[in-house]
Amino acid sequence: MINEREFLERARLDRGTLAVWIEEEWLIPGRTAHELAFTEMDLARANLIHDLKDKMGVNDEGLGVILHLLDQMHALRRALAETLRSARERQPPAGG
Amino acid sequence: MRDPYEILGVAKTASAEEIRKAYRKLAKKLHPDLNPGDKQAEERFKEVSVANDLLSDPDKRRRFDAGEIDASGAEKAPPNARYYRDYAGEGSHPYGGQSSYGDFAQGDDMFAELLRRAAEQARRRPGADLHYELQVDFLDAVNGAARTITLPQGGTLNVTIPAGVEDGQILRLRGKGAPSPGEGPPGDALVQIAVRPHRFFTRDGDDILLDLPVTVKEAALGAEVRAPTTTGSVMLKIPKRSNTGDVLRLRGKGVKKRDGAGDELVKLKVMMPTQSEPELEAFLAGWTPASSYDPRKEM
Repeated sequence: MINEREFLERARLDRGTLAVWIEEEWLIPGRTAHELAFTEMDLARANLIHDLKDKMGVNDEGLGVILHLLDQMHALRRALAETLRSARERQPPAGG
Repeated sequence: MRDPYEILGVAKTASAEEIRKAYRKLAKKLHPDLNPGDKQAEERFKEVSVANDLLSDPDKRRRFDAGEIDASGAEKAPPNARYYRDYAGEGSHPYGGQSSYGDFAQGDDMFAELLRRAAEQARRRPGADLHYELQVDFLDAVNGAARTITLPQGGTLNVTIPAGVEDGQILRLRGKGAPSPGEGPPGDALVQIAVRPHRFFTRDGDDILLDLPVTVKEAALGAEVRAPTTTGSVMLKIPKRSNTGDVLRLRGKGVKKRDGAGDELVKLKVMMPTQSEPELEAFLAGWTPASSYDPRKEM
């Protein structure tokens, strides 16, 4: 669990920018009783957003599209991995 | 270390703009998060980043061209500690995207069933656990109590503090955490107990410790004095010739738990009168002790 202050520092973000990113749902932090709670995953995602904006020159409109497609791709990869795993379990043992 | 110009695929005479364009093109192609299944993308992306770091800095580029530093002497481009793709494969996180295979899950074959099950699992994912801290008075921790936490986001949380709760202990309130992002059960509320210190009681496990001041007269002649316990006062018999440091045990007056109760250990502290006592002083001045008692003989 990473609190907001540590997250801002490690993700090289200011409060205003973070608020916009959350508003845009580029980041979806959890919540504790008193504040936002981030994970290492959120941090990696923030780094990805930095890379897309700074290194690749993606603008804000494009960024939302890219993240949405990336999320769908990861969901597909998870579904594929799950499907493959189950299919392999169901397969009778090879050889014999 | 390969030649950075070669890595970026630009001529030695390339302009800063050409280098920037070449780097961007490669970054878009090689960024590990845009190639989640390609283990080599990370290495190649790093190489490109280092090359860009060297050539996009006019001073470093000049020194490299002049042979003052080699490609490996360039500062390492700060690599991401971990990429997003390293986490995105985990089962449960808020960046879902299940809709991406909804159509495949329609059929009635084995794969559709597996996909439906995966989606179902994501939907039934429980909410997050929420963490709270609750300060309780020493006596409430010993005897148990009911408290209500007012939540910052509104609403309240009723907490039953079990008798004998310890400092730092965490109470789990099932289903009182964050709601599920889908249709799963809510998470739990985890309430960490911080016990405030008491004015005169302290605690050692299930035993309650108390320093009890007694007068010289009570200690010398014996007495019955009122002694506080965590459940009210009791009369405590001070034996004749008691001394500072003597410990009297009040059985069962400690922390009560389901499997029995601790004791209260009363440590006596003999106190001299704070006001002038001429009679006592006169007596002591003329007093010859019957035995040669030396409290410092062990020193």
